[in-house]
Amino acid sequence: MGDENIGGPNATRRRALMLGAAGATAIVSIRPALAQTNASVLACEIPVPDAGRAGSYIAADGTLVPAGTPGAFAPAGVPFKGEDVKRALANGGTLPGASYEQSRAYTNYIRRLQSGTSGFTCFASLQMPRG
Amino acid sequence: MTRYRAAPVATLRVVPLDVLTLIFHRASGITHVVDSPVPEILEALGDEALGLDALLARLGERFDLADADPAALASRLDELAAAGLVERL
Repeated sequence: MGDENIGGPNATRRRALMLGAAGATAIVSIRPALAQTNASVLACEIPVPDAGRAGSYIAADGTLVPAGTPGAFAPAGVPFKGEDVKRALANGGTLPGASYEQSRAYTNYIRRLQSGTSGFTCFASLQMPRG
Repeated sequence: MTRYRAAPVATLRVVPLDVLTLIFHRASGITHVVDSPVPEILEALGDEALGLDALLARLGERFDLADADPAALASRLDELAAAGLVERL
């Protein structure tokens, strides 16, 4: 494998594309005015877990496990704001409405987010240095 | 019917970064961090003004669409319009 490039309009093997894959946030905008840099980032949202796996519980290490697994936490009822996630990741604070252990599990889940998962663009943007 | 037109290619600097793409919009000075399918939509629009159905058909020609859902595409276009990368005509 590892041969030809893929995805060109005329490629014989067509690349898969999901129009709804990114969920609510496929675009996060970084504005040049320094004071406003994080406005869009902080308003974005990260569902835990993403809608495609809404029934799963979140284990302490952030992996998704079947509902009811002992020691794992139920999904967060509402998506977390980028601002809250950034604070929790930076200071080890807790996410709104979550206990300390629950918050640790949720932030571990967020750290594991992959491209194409709801909230990934938001999470990736939180990693950028403050302007 | 609403048609959509992407910002002119000359006004954009598009930099694929691993799994994400950065789009610097020279006109606004704003950098957008985008995930698939946003770059693909902009490329499919090219310099044409397309309606939702025509755009969906074009994406379907180029890609194996897992969800050829007009509502999902409309949501992406709304986001693009809000970001200033696509104009509604």
